[in-house]
Amino acid sequence: MSDIGMILDRIGRKLVTEVAPKLEGDYSGGHAGMSGLMAVMAGEAWDGAADRLVNEIASMRGLLALAGQEVSVPESPSVKISDLTTERNALANLLIAVQIELEGRGDDMSRDLNAKIWMHLMATAMARMPSPPIIAEGAE
Amino acid sequence: MREEDLATKFAAYAETRLPGARNARVSSINRIHGGASRQTYSIDLAYEDATGPKVKALILRRDPPDSLIDTERRVEFAAIKSAYGQRDLPVPEALFLETKNDALGAPFFVMGRIESGTPLNPFKLDDVEPHRAAIGEQFFRHLGSIAALPVEGSALAVETETPALDQCWRRELDYWANEIRSNAKDPQLVAEAAIRHLERNPPPPAQRLSIVHGDYRTGNYLQDGEGTMTAILDWEMAHIGDPYEDLAWATDLLWCANDQERAAGLLPWPEAIEVWQKASGCSFDPAAFEWWSLFAHVKALGIWVTSEKAFANGENDDPILAWSGWFTHSAHELMLAMRLGPKYGAGA
Repeated sequence: MSDIGMILDRIGRKLVTEVAPKLEGDYSGGHAGMSGLMAVMAGEAWDGAADRLVNEIASMRGLLALAGQEVSVPESPSVKISDLTTERNALANLLIAVQIELEGRGDDMSRDLNAKIWMHLMATAMARMPSPPIIAEGAE
Repeated sequence: MREEDLATKFAAYAETRLPGARNARVSSINRIHGGASRQTYSIDLAYEDATGPKVKALILRRDPPDSLIDTERRVEFAAIKSAYGQRDLPVPEALFLETKNDALGAPFFVMGRIESGTPLNPFKLDDVEPHRAAIGEQFFRHLGSIAALPVEGSALAVETETPALDQCWRRELDYWANEIRSNAKDPQLVAEAAIRHLERNPPPPAQRLSIVHGDYRTGNYLQDGEGTMTAILDWEMAHIGDPYEDLAWATDLLWCANDQERAAGLLPWPEAIEVWQKASGCSFDPAAFEWWSLFAHVKALGIWVTSEKAFANGENDDPILAWSGWFTHSAHELMLAMRLGPKYGAGA
């Protein structure tokens, strides 16, 4: 099977370095450049998307267990991004409710668990952050 | 609408609005990147009047099918009118406003075109060199001047509500929380936690009511490459509120490539604050600023999720909306998580 990440990366660089400059001055030139940048980013994200979601899901299930929550969200029937996203979103809604409850309490255990949720949020935000593509000026 | 058709209709419209004008025609029309919130065209309008032939350089801002933010063009028009000719603010002249679809198929407004200057890309801020200090001084002076504009009797005050001093923060937070909750396609854990944090720790009442530009930042002004800011643009989010809102938004780390040493990536922080205080007449309270700075991230998330929704629904296919819903959303979510997490014992 083709390397999808590589294909998106190459298409993106072609758009940025060849197509967009030829459209300079035209409104569509900006569209071409921006689309190219995002194709490069999508190529990178494609490779890690399932891994990131699986990690988020495992972390949230762990936190909900620590909170003593009975979680009825079924596990994804596959590792398709769409299935994993559905599971992740259902767990995320439960985690929001748990965090609201913890914030309303003043005890040490609640504070400790809330800190763990924040660590999860920080780690998730870091993992989701795409790296801005580096495309050399004038590169072909 | 094709540009040729737009040009013909616009010339016919403009002729009815310019006193004594006849034989009006569009001699040049170019769509330009003027923000994804409106379709923006640079137009040269040629016509004759009693004194002879004329050419007027104009900017047409026409509503698209959807936009980055759900705003009334009346507000943007009124904000520009409120600032035009005040102090030494470089603001274009607001000329015509149409709120109906009759003339050009969508509501629009027209303003004078400022001929010199280009916008700076906030992701390539080093392009400002060697004029960083000069642009920085003007950036914070103009920001302070906007905060010092009279609110009472302004065109903007006619079009928008004037909140009480102690309700500025609440109104803005409620608005953007609602935008996030109405438009996000996925649960927003970080944004929700941030909204609750801001509600539990409100800022002090505004020290004064000001005209708030709403999107004052690098990327939304023009500079001539020789050290002069020539225009302040993109007033569509203008309202009346707390002057810290603009200061916090203008210095958000997204707009200066995460430069933590210089405010807005332009001036050392103490210098920037001094310039802003002098021009605005306001005093700087770090605690209040901290609240508005966190709020700026939440507001940004509100814009980004709205952008993503418009792109995903196919209502607006400008790729900048996809970029906003992805890259800039991720950036602001990360900023919020890294700032708030330690306050709750994470990563300490």
